[in-house]
Amino acid sequence: MKNVLRIAVIVIITAAGAAVMLMTASAQKKRNEFYHDTAAHKKLNCASCHKNPTPNSEAVRGYPDVADYPGHASCISCHRADFFSGNRPAICTICHTNPGPANGKRFAFPQRSRPHEFTTIFPHDVHQDIIALNVTPATGPPNSRRVGGATTDALFVRASFPMAAPNTHLGALAYARATDTDDPAPTFNNCAICHQTASELPKYAAINLPNGKALSPAVGENFKPEAGFFKDSPMGHQTCFTCHYQGQKPVRTDCAGCHSASERYKDTGVTERYSLKFDHQSANHVNKDCTTCHVRITQTKDLAAMKGADVPFVTCASCHAAQLKEETDKRAGAATFQCAYCHSPEVGRFEIPPSHRNR
Amino acid sequence: MSEIKWLIFREGRRDVSLINSVIMSKFAPLIVILLAVSVQTFGQLGSMEVSGRVKIGTKQEKLTRKRFYLFRGGLEANKALVEKLKAAAPVSRDCFYCTQKASAEFIAWLRAGDCETPYCREITADDAQKVPEFKAAYQKGLTQFKRKPELAQKWLTTNLPAGLRDGFYREQKTMIGGLLGTLKPVQSVMTDSVSVKGIFIDIPLELAGKKTGKFLVSNLLPMEVGDKSFVWACEIEIGAEKPAVLKLTEGKTKACEVIVRPITACAAGVCAAK
Repeated sequence: MKNVLRIAVIVIITAAGAAVMLMTASAQKKRNEFYHDTAAHKKLNCASCHKNPTPNSEAVRGYPDVADYPGHASCISCHRADFFSGNRPAICTICHTNPGPANGKRFAFPQRSRPHEFTTIFPHDVHQDIIALNVTPATGPPNSRRVGGATTDALFVRASFPMAAPNTHLGALAYARATDTDDPAPTFNNCAICHQTASELPKYAAINLPNGKALSPAVGENFKPEAGFFKDSPMGHQTCFTCHYQGQKPVRTDCAGCHSASERYKDTGVTERYSLKFDHQSANHVNKDCTTCHVRITQTKDLAAMKGADVPFVTCASCHAAQLKEETDKRAGAATFQCAYCHSPEVGRFEIPPSHRNR
Repeated sequence: MSEIKWLIFREGRRDVSLINSVIMSKFAPLIVILLAVSVQTFGQLGSMEVSGRVKIGTKQEKLTRKRFYLFRGGLEANKALVEKLKAAAPVSRDCFYCTQKASAEFIAWLRAGDCETPYCREITADDAQKVPEFKAAYQKGLTQFKRKPELAQKWLTTNLPAGLRDGFYREQKTMIGGLLGTLKPVQSVMTDSVSVKGIFIDIPLELAGKKTGKFLVSNLLPMEVGDKSFVWACEIEIGAEKPAVLKLTEGKTKACEVIVRPITACAAGVCAAK
């Protein structure tokens, strides 16, 4: 009986040892990659590895931030064996450009070439509420993200423009909304705290319409939007930390307060639009409040969950009913006619959607 | 029905397709009618606009960037909510900040921009010198962000006490939570600052054969205009044919409950009455 027990113990120990060896060996193959979504990593609190701020952040970013990789201490408790595996351990190559005792140089943090593993959740509705009552700040620092200076550029005199009379359905609503604006320009758009007119032309593309029916091949067109057609979005933590560095939750150490684990994805950085020809800076657009057209944004907790276009077509039709009618009439006459007033050919050649017809 | 029972009795469960075909032949028209009714009932969308322009006294007020909520059912269906709105004891902005022991300068700064929180507008370097709370937060920031005075200025609100920072917002959220309980609005929108309108779009209608359905629009939170605060709870018919339009009035109407309260002075001698 004793022998049987001894053999059993030996077998169990051997099996466990083999399993550990096997696991280590298979994991070793991936030690030059790091992902947050492994079972072991998912159990950890973000702040247990990422320190905020990192000592280098002021030099790198100019403000306290996470600007560096977690230190060795964060990894070594679980990956001790990997640290001493061979002359150039694979695990070192996750952060270090040329691992070696004499070279501690690391890749820039974060590595932009790596796939993203998190999405950012920004509740527009809450932010609209809490900063909703606004007046134009009289002055602001020259490099301020606030719109004290920016809106002065935007104060165009509101030119008159032709507007079709209301006919059916939402047309009346839109007409009334667009014509009933006796204010010459918005005094302050709090959206501009985070979204400013792009200073450089971003990568752009017409939105892909996988479910639509193209009625003709795209015609060649020389149209190219300008930088001013687009608005930018905050990159990094700086804008968020203006209010959320400490005190106001979620604070800088609560990563999950804003970031949600997601499928890995590559950020193309391409701004996709239905209407590439829409110019935010045109005289009759710049004098509107952002939410005059971005109707859904004040009720949106998460952009990813938003149903329908952020800008409902009704807001476009309020001023552009005449152009809409002209182009839908032309389409009725020839299926190959491509709508070009708002759309580039990639979109303008598709079937006209119901939202555009039911005016 | 008896035919189906007989079939089941005769065939047992062997010939399911035969039974199914009989069921389909008997009930197909009914299914089609039910589908049509359900599409008619639930498939339609409506829209409505609430205008934030309201004449109060002799002045045309603009309620810009104010949130309105849309509820299914009219005044009668939402009687409990309306009663809660009437019974509520909202705390005015000034009173709230009084309880937070805010300085007269801080309250004056909020008033000057019609602000409810210090997030509402830029806190300038001048403000940081004149308003004691801002000054204290700035000094704290200078210690924390050594050699970075611009950061201490820019991130000033992160060093404000919680009550002054977003306390009023949290108070309002708590109030909304108390008013609504388990009731969920269909949508909420905010009026814009140019057309002073809020548009409810793609409202799912449940018309059940009728042309329009009853809804209730309310701001829930009192809007402070001059020396009074206003809560509207207005019934409106919304259909799929054309957009509904709601214009607010100063006084109560058949379709609108208007709860008007004077904005009272707070802690006399500490904070001035509005």
